[in-house]
Amino acid sequence: MKNKTLGIYVHIPFCESKCTYCDFASFVCEEKEKYFVFLKDEIEKSEHKGRAVDTIYIGGGTPSSVEPKYIIQILQTIKSNFQVSKNAEITIECNPNSATVEKLASYLNSGVNRISFGVQSLQDGVLKFAGRRHTAKEAIAAIENAKTVGFKNISADLIIGFPNQTKTSVCQDAKKLISLGITHISTYMLQVEEGTLLYKIVKENPSLLPNDDVCSEIFQELVSFLEQNAFCQYEVSNFSKPNFESRHNLKYWSGQDYLGFGLSATSTIGNKRFTNAKTFEGYFNGEREVEILGNREKIEEKIMLGLRCRLGFNIEEIKTLGYDISSNKSFQEFIKKDILKIQNKNVFLSSKYYIVNNQIISSLLP
Amino acid sequence: MNRLDKIRNFCIVAHIDHGKSTLADRLIELTGSLAKRDMQAQLLDSMELERERGITIKLTPTRMLYDFEGETYTLNLIDTPGHVDFTYEVSRSLAACEGAILIVDASQGVEAQTLANAYLAVDNNLEILPVINKIDLPSARPEEVKKEIEDIVGVPAMHAPCISAKDGTNVKDVLEMIIKEFPSPKGDENAKLKCLIFDSYYDNFKGAICLIRVFDGEVKVGDKIKMMQTGKTFDVTEVGIFTPSARAVDMLSAGDVGYLAGSIKTISDVAVGDTITNALDPTEMPLEGYKKVQPVVFCGIFTVDGAKYNDLKDALEKLKLNDASLEYQPEVSEALGFGFRCGFLGLLHLEIITERIEREFNLDIITTAPGVFYNVYKTNGEMLVISNPSDLPSQVEIDYIEEPIVKASMYTPPEYVGAIMELCQDKRGVYKDLTYLDKTRVRVDYTLPLGEIIYDFFDSLKSRTKGYASFDYEMAGFEQSDLVRVDILLNGDKCDALSLIVHKDKAYTRGRAIAEKLKKIIPRQLFEVPIQAAIGNKIIARETISAMRKDVLAKCYGGDISRKRKLLEKQKEGKKKMRQIGSVEIPSEAFMSILKLDDDK
Repeated sequence: MKNKTLGIYVHIPFCESKCTYCDFASFVCEEKEKYFVFLKDEIEKSEHKGRAVDTIYIGGGTPSSVEPKYIIQILQTIKSNFQVSKNAEITIECNPNSATVEKLASYLNSGVNRISFGVQSLQDGVLKFAGRRHTAKEAIAAIENAKTVGFKNISADLIIGFPNQTKTSVCQDAKKLISLGITHISTYMLQVEEGTLLYKIVKENPSLLPNDDVCSEIFQELVSFLEQNAFCQYEVSNFSKPNFESRHNLKYWSGQDYLGFGLSATSTIGNKRFTNAKTFEGYFNGEREVEILGNREKIEEKIMLGLRCRLGFNIEEIKTLGYDISSNKSFQEFIKKDILKIQNKNVFLSSKYYIVNNQIISSLLP
Repeated sequence: MNRLDKIRNFCIVAHIDHGKSTLADRLIELTGSLAKRDMQAQLLDSMELERERGITIKLTPTRMLYDFEGETYTLNLIDTPGHVDFTYEVSRSLAACEGAILIVDASQGVEAQTLANAYLAVDNNLEILPVINKIDLPSARPEEVKKEIEDIVGVPAMHAPCISAKDGTNVKDVLEMIIKEFPSPKGDENAKLKCLIFDSYYDNFKGAICLIRVFDGEVKVGDKIKMMQTGKTFDVTEVGIFTPSARAVDMLSAGDVGYLAGSIKTISDVAVGDTITNALDPTEMPLEGYKKVQPVVFCGIFTVDGAKYNDLKDALEKLKLNDASLEYQPEVSEALGFGFRCGFLGLLHLEIITERIEREFNLDIITTAPGVFYNVYKTNGEMLVISNPSDLPSQVEIDYIEEPIVKASMYTPPEYVGAIMELCQDKRGVYKDLTYLDKTRVRVDYTLPLGEIIYDFFDSLKSRTKGYASFDYEMAGFEQSDLVRVDILLNGDKCDALSLIVHKDKAYTRGRAIAEKLKKIIPRQLFEVPIQAAIGNKIIARETISAMRKDVLAKCYGGDISRKRKLLEKQKEGKKKMRQIGSVEIPSEAFMSILKLDDDK
């Protein structure tokens, strides 16, 4: 296990403003200087120092909202403490409005080779409702800038479930993104999380958001549109052109080890999972939660993550961990009904059932 | 004066809410059996459930001492349940008494169960003493009510004490009338032992406890006793009285009311209604008059968690000891697994038992739709008695079916007669009689199928008469009827636990109502699920639950994995509470929801 390459996630918990639907650990505040000192310290003191790393993901928050010097410094710290491979995938999340040509260029110069834009939509009405700080025009410009600067691997996020979104409008958004040279699209259903501004709005006006049937229609339409355009659904909510899958995210989904640095970041190494405190105070005090993953948890995660991906999970692997899934009645029925497929001991979900994966996965757990 | 002359065994009967338990409390207080400060309101209603509902289900006898004209009298009060479902329990306690106090509410007047209970007392040759209660209420009309009692019940009432059990007014008069009017028990202390078991309960330390009335002879610790019905013998380990808490005494003799323990471990050994005699010197003739009570309402009871079957069995066994009228036998349902088909005296009885199983034994249960029992005559000449719809043979094998019929009497102010007749008509009732008892009260008599009464008749009657009508019924045999079984099919698979037997004319409406209700309750599945109601092969109603369209489709990156896993674990736990019918998962509530179809409308 020790010689396996790691993925590293770095959390930048800063935003220029909070979006209506966001429940991430992100803050609009000025603790930046102190935070980056602690972040550097955390990386330098990692007990896994010196291990090989082949993916780095800088997420948030909005990493592009802080000055590039911080990003450059973090990448430098990682490179001097870990063996980062030459062809490592290094991603940074950017907000279209804060991704200037200068910033993008300095990212590229410091080794970043993949940009993930939080586009969400190319309809100004939707963006406004979501509380995003950018317009469609700015999003398009940001992607064009990234191309101009020299980025060849660009991802965009799309969210489904805002008022006034339709099958046509979402597919038009996707079409525009593809024409701009996007290589990867992540798409999510809007989730109304307690504690967000959106939660309050929806509680007062429950019929505001499109219902499940409408959302699923939009999603299915988007899936077929993307497939027609050579984007493969390699995970329930992720699509890419061939060889442009997010290698970093695939590490999570295939059960490989990863380290997380920064506020609220999670690391999983072997059967231990650590999660840093979700407040500045806690993080500065070095507080973190530890979870030990037993065989049961491992089995559950292999099934859960595997079925969310085109990869699936290996029957023999979970059998070794103590779960003979072939004796599960639901499993037998799902196989019979072609909901699940088996190929070389690998079990995976028929793509048309991705959208109800929770229902299926929960029936298969030990 | 001999010992027996100074004993009075009596009970109190009344329509529900006329103040029976409150009077019992006052009597206990007045005789000093308990200091007032120790009293919890309505002492005799010892079950939490009873106090909550303000009704008495279990009988608890109490011995009180009262000095009158230089003598100390022993007054044994046996409280009785007041609801129509518990007629049999009332009759058991009546058999242990010589007199009955008939309480009538001074403003409500004679109600359905006033009459029913008074007749039961007459049947048991009891001396009846009417008492007018609640005279403290501004709406009290004691003189009119006295006349009502004489006219309707046919018992002299002009000298009936007018009391307020609530504030204690004139309650002393009741005590003195008990002594003066009620006969003392007859019996021979030197004759062979003859005790009546009129109730029982289970004590974790002492085993089954028999509540007894001694008619002849005496019984003490160490005696070898014999249950005449079961033939079992036991050594008496304790005899005692209730004051109202249990207190051991040396001996119980002819005329006494008390309890007896004998390390009786097996619940079924104590048959309520049985006669206890001395095993070494037995009497030849057991006491008569105790019939085995027949349950009239049936339903299946299952545990939500199938693994708790034995706990349910245990709970029913324990409840049965306290409640001779509860009947049950194992049942297997394809949908619900192992459980019991239980028989009850009525709907309230059913509700009480199921609530007690949940509260006292902490079990989550599923009950199927309550039904009655039918006589099914087959074309081959065979006759089946069935209470489980699943046991109904196929239509071609059936010659005809008979359903139980009741004679029902409703007492109501005249303005609601129309509403009541409409309700009875709707419930397939046959009009019998209409009697004006006085200006304000009418008695409406109908015969009705029992199966219609157990299906939301009480609630409809109450709501249509603003709660003014009272209702009583007695079984009146069987009548041939055009009945069919409505089956419910989920995705083409029959769900046996949802089948029910209904009249042909109502099958369509009921079938459609159930299908509609189930559509609301069963969550969307991976596939489209047709819900059908069918009679035999004929589909009479259909609804469709469309396939589930989406789950929460959320991101799942490094920091989300544990949370996501836990959500799925929780979802899996939720599924455990679902029942699988073919490939359809249905929640437990679905089975109960069809019991209350009309609530939504």
